[in-house]
Amino acid sequence: MIGLAAVVFAFPLVYLAWSSITLGGDLLAALTDPLVLRPLGNSLALSLTVSLACAVLGTVSALVVARTDVVGRPALTVLLAMPLAIPSFVGATALLSATGAGGLVPFVSRPDGFGGASIVLTLLSYPYVYLPVLARLRGSARNTEEAARLLGAGPWRAVVTVVLPQLRGSITAGSLLVFLYVLSDFGAVSLLRYDTITRSIYASRLLDRPTSVTLGLLLALLALGVAALARLPQQAPPPADRSAPAPVIELGRARIPVSALSWAVVAAGLLVPVTVFVTWAVRGSAGLEPAFGGVSDVTGFVTGPVLNSGLAASVAAVAAAVLVLPVAAASVRRGDRLSRATAALATSVLALPGLVTALALVFFAIAAPGVLRVLYQSFPLLILGYVMHFGAQSLQASQAALAAVPARLNEAAQLLGADARRRFVTVDLPLILPGVSAGAGLVMLSTLKELPATALLAPIGFDTLATTIYFAAEDGFFAQVGVASLVLIVVSAVLTWLLVLRPAIRTAPR
Amino acid sequence: MTPHLRALAVTLAAGAVATVLTGCGSDRPTLTIYSGRTENLVGPLLTQYAEANDVDIEIRYGGSADLALLLDEEGDRSPADVFISQSPGPLGYLSGDDRLVELPADVLDLVPEDARASDGRWVGLSGRVRTLVYNTDLVDEADLPDSIIDLTGEEYRGRVALAPSNGSFQDFVTAFRDIDGDDTAAEWLAGMSANDSPAYANNTAIVAAVARGEVDMGLVNHYYNYRQVIEEPDSPTSNHFFADGDIGNLLLVTGAATLGTADDTELAADFIRFLLTEQAQTFFSEETFEYPLASDVEPYADLPPLTSLGISTFDVNSLGGGLVRTEELIRDSGVDTSG
Repeated sequence: MIGLAAVVFAFPLVYLAWSSITLGGDLLAALTDPLVLRPLGNSLALSLTVSLACAVLGTVSALVVARTDVVGRPALTVLLAMPLAIPSFVGATALLSATGAGGLVPFVSRPDGFGGASIVLTLLSYPYVYLPVLARLRGSARNTEEAARLLGAGPWRAVVTVVLPQLRGSITAGSLLVFLYVLSDFGAVSLLRYDTITRSIYASRLLDRPTSVTLGLLLALLALGVAALARLPQQAPPPADRSAPAPVIELGRARIPVSALSWAVVAAGLLVPVTVFVTWAVRGSAGLEPAFGGVSDVTGFVTGPVLNSGLAASVAAVAAAVLVLPVAAASVRRGDRLSRATAALATSVLALPGLVTALALVFFAIAAPGVLRVLYQSFPLLILGYVMHFGAQSLQASQAALAAVPARLNEAAQLLGADARRRFVTVDLPLILPGVSAGAGLVMLSTLKELPATALLAPIGFDTLATTIYFAAEDGFFAQVGVASLVLIVVSAVLTWLLVLRPAIRTAPR
Repeated sequence: MTPHLRALAVTLAAGAVATVLTGCGSDRPTLTIYSGRTENLVGPLLTQYAEANDVDIEIRYGGSADLALLLDEEGDRSPADVFISQSPGPLGYLSGDDRLVELPADVLDLVPEDARASDGRWVGLSGRVRTLVYNTDLVDEADLPDSIIDLTGEEYRGRVALAPSNGSFQDFVTAFRDIDGDDTAAEWLAGMSANDSPAYANNTAIVAAVARGEVDMGLVNHYYNYRQVIEEPDSPTSNHFFADGDIGNLLLVTGAATLGTADDTELAADFIRFLLTEQAQTFFSEETFEYPLASDVEPYADLPPLTSLGISTFDVNSLGGGLVRTEELIRDSGVDTSG
């Protein structure tokens, strides 16, 4: 199983290395070319900034909704996860249109360049940290926190000294996902006019194939290095007694400002884009001619894509969780070379643009012998593409969850005669389930908004909400973009609630 | 597993089975098309052709460049019969890689000679003219130049948006090289870069930025402002066309080709022939505001006549340095990173 996963996750790297060599690309020359190094440096600076910002924003917002009496807590819990449902290019377009003179929020200056890209990508990506940390908080030790409180520590001091160390693994894992995702992003950075290595890969993809694949290889190797170096920190031991109720910290006088700030995050990352989408939908529908409008048939326009998107995203989420769980378990428990290498490979794929991942899968699938040929451009191959591209999200979340299971629980079960499988099902699984669902949720949300790989790999006619949005935006059909984006957000909210947040809340002891 | 989750799982499984089953079909001939024109811009025509000719049409939509790369990776195992591209570059790329087969002379002859590949491997379907979109509140039309070359002048410093990493701008530069030579094209690019012309992501982003007054004007395809005005009727934006025959008014053609992997090249050619009928050309003219290239269909009102435009169908094979040289010229000018 791990060997199979290793092969799958190695596809993009092998494809890029092969293409670069056969097309005559020169990796070493690229490494000394200032026209390569500048955007590469830009990419690293942006990824680092956004991942640090997301670490803070994602952790604080998770703590606020999990542990305080913030105003509108249940709604905040779901809404804070939602910016992840907005494809970066359409989110950036919406925020550009909302800001500056004449926009929805004219007092906010228009995002542009490094600063603008940092802010926009932070607002769209912090849920990569928020969701895993929230999941971890649901299953974290209350008794130690209680003990700290009983010993006289104030509620915030207890959080900082006792709870925060327990979250380190989830925060690191989530921030790593943000770092890699930002490296891969093309849509937002190009719209916000910030020159990154991914923009170079795209700009040269047709005109100068050798350069494009060599830059892709460079990005893949860089991501592999980052993934190999990133070690999950040792987590503090989790709960011996999980029955104690989660202590709710009363914010007192801070309740209003904390609530205002929390809702401001939702406003900036979700409500502003949503308002822009509504504006586009209403504005464009007014002057639509039926033949050219598409939106006149709203039901037909979105029904198929909704079903396809929901199906693909749910299946991809489950498939990714199942495929990477053995890798996560082996890399955390055994720490053997194969599983650690597989984990690093899987993690590195996340940094590649979807177009590159898709072409890599095509490269191998089209050469498949005999009966395997029927898989080409089939639904299972599309799912494999999603798992390959987003498996890292599930992997990081699962690894963080597994690392938090104390070894002594397994040892005790072993002494009682439980075999490895039984121990996994009865000891590990209940403890890691919130983390695993959070990881599956990330895969689901990423799949829902995935564009380039879907366009190339999906069965013919398999339109998704994301492809609908992308094609409509390509040709300036903003009313359609608005309607489809709103539907995408609603579908994402429903699926996130049903499949991620609700089970996580249920499995958490009350 | 809760009953709820179980119900969901059953639904998902049923959906998966249904997806697989719908793949099995009739024995009507099937035409597989990879289309860089999106459904909004070609979909109704496909339905009409399929119904009139009793053909099953399978269509994969995508970006023209991305689909060209997909076809290249698929090689001789590609399921595709026909490729429709939004601009000449991706067709040139595939032609250079020997993926396209020559079209029948009667199809090629439907369009003017300068609107098809000289080796007959692809044919133009419609045209999009390069233009200067400007903000009517910020710019007096009288101050706009007769030639795109004038935009390197001091009075336009920092005021003209470009989309250097976008296919349409890249194809414009390739055509510029083809017509006026590499040196002239490079000189113009360097001039635009030295004039602090801001770089944007694509045509749509430029029109949006011009509409909100962020930048005064920008070089785009004419289509995008027509779309903008439909979506936002009060949009203070207008297209400015340069003087007759100026390279700035270049017509970039969208085109179609039969792939070497086509099961039935006759059927593929017949479909392309249909796209050049009066019915299809009228759709391109009236619904997508593009220049029709065949069947004597008139262009959309208030567009300059086709005869006043240079048409670009650069031939990648005969163009010294190929497409890579375009990339080098753009990169070396620094125009793609200026903001």
